[in-house]
Amino acid sequence: MNEVAVSLAGVSKTFRDFWLRPTVKAVDGLDLAVARGDVFGLLGPNGSGKSTTIKMILGLLRPDDGQVRLFGMPPSSVQARRKIGYLPELSYLHPFLTARETLAYYAGLCGLGRQDARRRIDQLLEMTDLTAAASRPVGGFSKGMARRVALASSLIGKPELLILDEPTSGLDPVSTHEVKMLIRTLSKSGMTILMTSHLLADAQDVCRNFMILNRGKGVAQGMVDKIEGSLQDYFLAKVGEERDFKVAPFLEGGAGA
Amino acid sequence: MRAFCQVALLELRRLVRSKTALALLLASVAWMLATPYLVKSDGTLDGARQIYVRFSLGGVFVLCAISLAASAASSLALERENRRLQLSRTRPVARLTLALARMFALTSLGAAVLAMSSLILLCNVQGDRLCNHVAGPVMESIEAEAARMYDYYMADPETPPEIKAAKKSTVMRVLRQGALDHYQSIAADETAEWTFPAPQSEKLSVSLRFTNDFDLRDDVRGEFSYGAFRGAVSNITQAVVHVPLEAGSGGVAGAQDGKLRFVNMGVSSLMLRPRKDIKLLSGADSFRMNLLRAYLELVSMLSATIAFAVFLGAGLGRPVAVFTCITFMFVSFASSDIIGQYPDQFETDNVDRIGLALTRAVEYASRPVNSLHPLASLSADECIEPGEAIPVALVDMVLLPLLFALLSSFAISLREDWI
Repeated sequence: MNEVAVSLAGVSKTFRDFWLRPTVKAVDGLDLAVARGDVFGLLGPNGSGKSTTIKMILGLLRPDDGQVRLFGMPPSSVQARRKIGYLPELSYLHPFLTARETLAYYAGLCGLGRQDARRRIDQLLEMTDLTAAASRPVGGFSKGMARRVALASSLIGKPELLILDEPTSGLDPVSTHEVKMLIRTLSKSGMTILMTSHLLADAQDVCRNFMILNRGKGVAQGMVDKIEGSLQDYFLAKVGEERDFKVAPFLEGGAGA
Repeated sequence: MRAFCQVALLELRRLVRSKTALALLLASVAWMLATPYLVKSDGTLDGARQIYVRFSLGGVFVLCAISLAASAASSLALERENRRLQLSRTRPVARLTLALARMFALTSLGAAVLAMSSLILLCNVQGDRLCNHVAGPVMESIEAEAARMYDYYMADPETPPEIKAAKKSTVMRVLRQGALDHYQSIAADETAEWTFPAPQSEKLSVSLRFTNDFDLRDDVRGEFSYGAFRGAVSNITQAVVHVPLEAGSGGVAGAQDGKLRFVNMGVSSLMLRPRKDIKLLSGADSFRMNLLRAYLELVSMLSATIAFAVFLGAGLGRPVAVFTCITFMFVSFASSDIIGQYPDQFETDNVDRIGLALTRAVEYASRPVNSLHPLASLSADECIEPGEAIPVALVDMVLLPLLFALLSSFAISLREDWI
């Protein structure tokens, strides 16, 4: 059995304009390995290349250089995608579908049989406390409820690897706590979890390992337990000094007077 | 298969819950019921029937084609803009399935609307009236005649030098049109004859249209004979007339030599274009069966149009895809008329030539759809031959959607990776 769930070796990605001229190098020679059963945090400021890295892991983008493997397989392969669940940063639900229909749609895409899908949908609706709202169109859901539907749909195919992009984004403290509990529970069941987050306290609560990205490169990597102090301080020490706002000239110019 | 069904179901739910399906259905029913009151007939019962058949179902087809093509062009483009396509693509489902299932769902809705409209049509038209197999005279092929005329003109010293210097394909295009419009003269008391393939039944008639030297309306008098079958003509020129052929006493069924003869008994010469103006009709099956074949052709045309629109939506932004699709449809529908307005491109200027070249390209690309004329045949009681309808339906309903789905899957990937 392959003990590495996700591996990236020397991966680079440059975005180009319509005339194929390079516009931005989003990821630059990135090496990354996520072990099976790990809860791994991919951290970094805005524009650091987290989303591009996630898209390459999901097979939505092809790297210009390097190699991406999921359980030893290329991410675009159907076999690899059978093992993935993905929760995007925004829920991206079809507003005209009900919660049950949404889950049935993704169950169908994952190839689940009718009986299996029905049982799984009922379990997930119960798990995310959406049973009472299962027949309502998700377009009328609150952000927290929509997030729970999206989370349930990411779990519908019984994934071995769950990729969570900002899983607690926009949630109230109670829902945030519930999501973190869920991640811990899923991790205990042996599921590999790769998550990105801006909320470093949340990442510190649930992640075992992490990598900090800045300008497309991995600037730090390690175990959360081994950090002295908070992950927030460590993060700012690694990338914060490069984002020093020049406030003084602005104030001297009369702003705020 | 489960993924295919779920994507198709998703698309159908989108159409139903956005009220698109309901609006299309109501508009179609309203058009079918209102057509007899909106379209003027030529005053004859048969004319009224022909106009009703052509414009009622034709209107519903145009309605379906425009609304469903716009929906199809929006479908994948909207999914991509809302990032839902990315989410679907992270599941173990082929991009081909995502495109093909959408085509299937949209075509199914169009097929349902057309089926309902066809049933309304059938309630208003005598379903058991007979339609006819149509055969044209056996002649030298248009291509062979055009090639022969090309050799003749190139060898002729009186041919203008600009024609001799023109590209062969351009001259051939003009000559092909000329061959189609090639006139044959029949002097007074002269007998003309044309060879036809053996008819498929003994209920025979001739459909014809004559003109005379000065393109005036004039009396036509004469007699057709086809073996033991006879039919007299007494009518005016420029009108399409149907002459039933009756079997003579002791006559044999059909002509042994396959020749249809016409004796001009009038006082002036008559002219006709054999490739366009004369047809031998033989009884086929009912209007009901012909409607079924016309329905199959309409659904196949719709299927190819939707497949093209889905492909545009896979590669282009939503407004661009919808605009391109609708413009392409209008140009392709009007292309044969536009090209027909310019029979001789030696007389046109450069702007016209560019416009014509573009129109010809669109006409050529849309030929699998535009080569079909099910409603013209249906209204004229001309049998849509199954041998011709089925291969075209297979191309339009199976091959083209598969091809466009394949291209769409490349476009989805390319669009994500490139722009």
